[in-house]
Amino acid sequence: MDDFLGRLVSDLEPVRRRRPHVEALVLALLCLAELALWLALNQARPNLMGVALTTPTFWWKLASSGLIAGLGAATAINSLDPAVSPRRGLIWIAIAFVAYLIVGAFTDGRFDRIDILQRLDWRDGVECLEKVVLLSAPAMTALGVFMRNGAPAHREETALAAGIAAAAWAAFVFSFGCPHDDPLYIGVWYTLACALSASIARVLLPWFARW
Amino acid sequence: MVGSDWRGMMIAAQAGNGGAYRRLLEEVGVWLRRYYRRRLPPSMVDDAAQDALIAIHQKRHTYDPARPFEPWLAAIARYKWIDRLRALKRAPSEALSLDIEVEDHGSAVVSATVLDALLRGLKPTQSAVIRLVKIQGYSIEEAAQHTGQSISLVKVNIHRGLARLAKELEKGDHADG
Repeated sequence: MDDFLGRLVSDLEPVRRRRPHVEALVLALLCLAELALWLALNQARPNLMGVALTTPTFWWKLASSGLIAGLGAATAINSLDPAVSPRRGLIWIAIAFVAYLIVGAFTDGRFDRIDILQRLDWRDGVECLEKVVLLSAPAMTALGVFMRNGAPAHREETALAAGIAAAAWAAFVFSFGCPHDDPLYIGVWYTLACALSASIARVLLPWFARW
Repeated sequence: MVGSDWRGMMIAAQAGNGGAYRRLLEEVGVWLRRYYRRRLPPSMVDDAAQDALIAIHQKRHTYDPARPFEPWLAAIARYKWIDRLRALKRAPSEALSLDIEVEDHGSAVVSATVLDALLRGLKPTQSAVIRLVKIQGYSIEEAAQHTGQSISLVKVNIHRGLARLAKELEKGDHADG
């Protein structure tokens, strides 16, 4: 045991402490850069300034995804300290998600079953899936690197929070280009896309951030 | 839990003070062995304590001096404990040799008591086969004969029981020093 401790002590070097606010800042800058790039690539919907900004459901999808992304990122970054559990944050995310669905249902008000398939527009929906998964990659990668550098003691839950944050941010960015404001379409496709991204993070990040 | 200023020693260690770090590791090592003696079979205690010390060494930059040191240490100890339990789940079940040296009865009794309390939370069919195979060293076939379960059911019950146990431990607060 003495030899073992001696090896650890001889390996000792001054360390730079982990700084959660710096991680949050780096993540925020990365996300804003992604949004700027998305808009610079002319991906915004043509009627963004005219129609979208006056449509309540546009603000609903933007506010919901922004809120969930913020909650997810805060939960993931905080839980990189081993003494902090991500569970309370995940509960808040679940509450925000339920609120998002309830507000969406109230905003909708249309229950005509006949045009449900038309409203779901599966071609655009599949594109939504692809783009949200793709757009979630930068934030997911950054959070994965933070996880590896940190010491998450609840790896699976932290990975889930990171995945939700990355997916919700991707949905936020995609909202600017998505021509759909129908709550049914958003409720189904955005939720599916976010669930897919979060599942990828939940599977990959714990393995990557093993310590 | 703490006899001396572990927080101060860790802050000094983060700045590169080897003397303070050595003292911290020695004292924390004693605490860790006591912690694992209550939760693991005696043969696993030293390895688990060393694992936790390596984790403390590698992750010392994640300690925030604005927070108390003990919860940080306890969280790492618990994390490594759950890792050990998962490894136990993956380990093949082998019959115990009759030549195994028996020592440290006190800690074994405490471990057995803690394990017994944990196993009581499982279904009887699961806890029975885990006791037989993982603790008493019976083979899968012997456990099947003993309990009247089929061999595949014994394997399934061990797998599910240990998975549930690990899940319960992650949820629960069995880790208090």
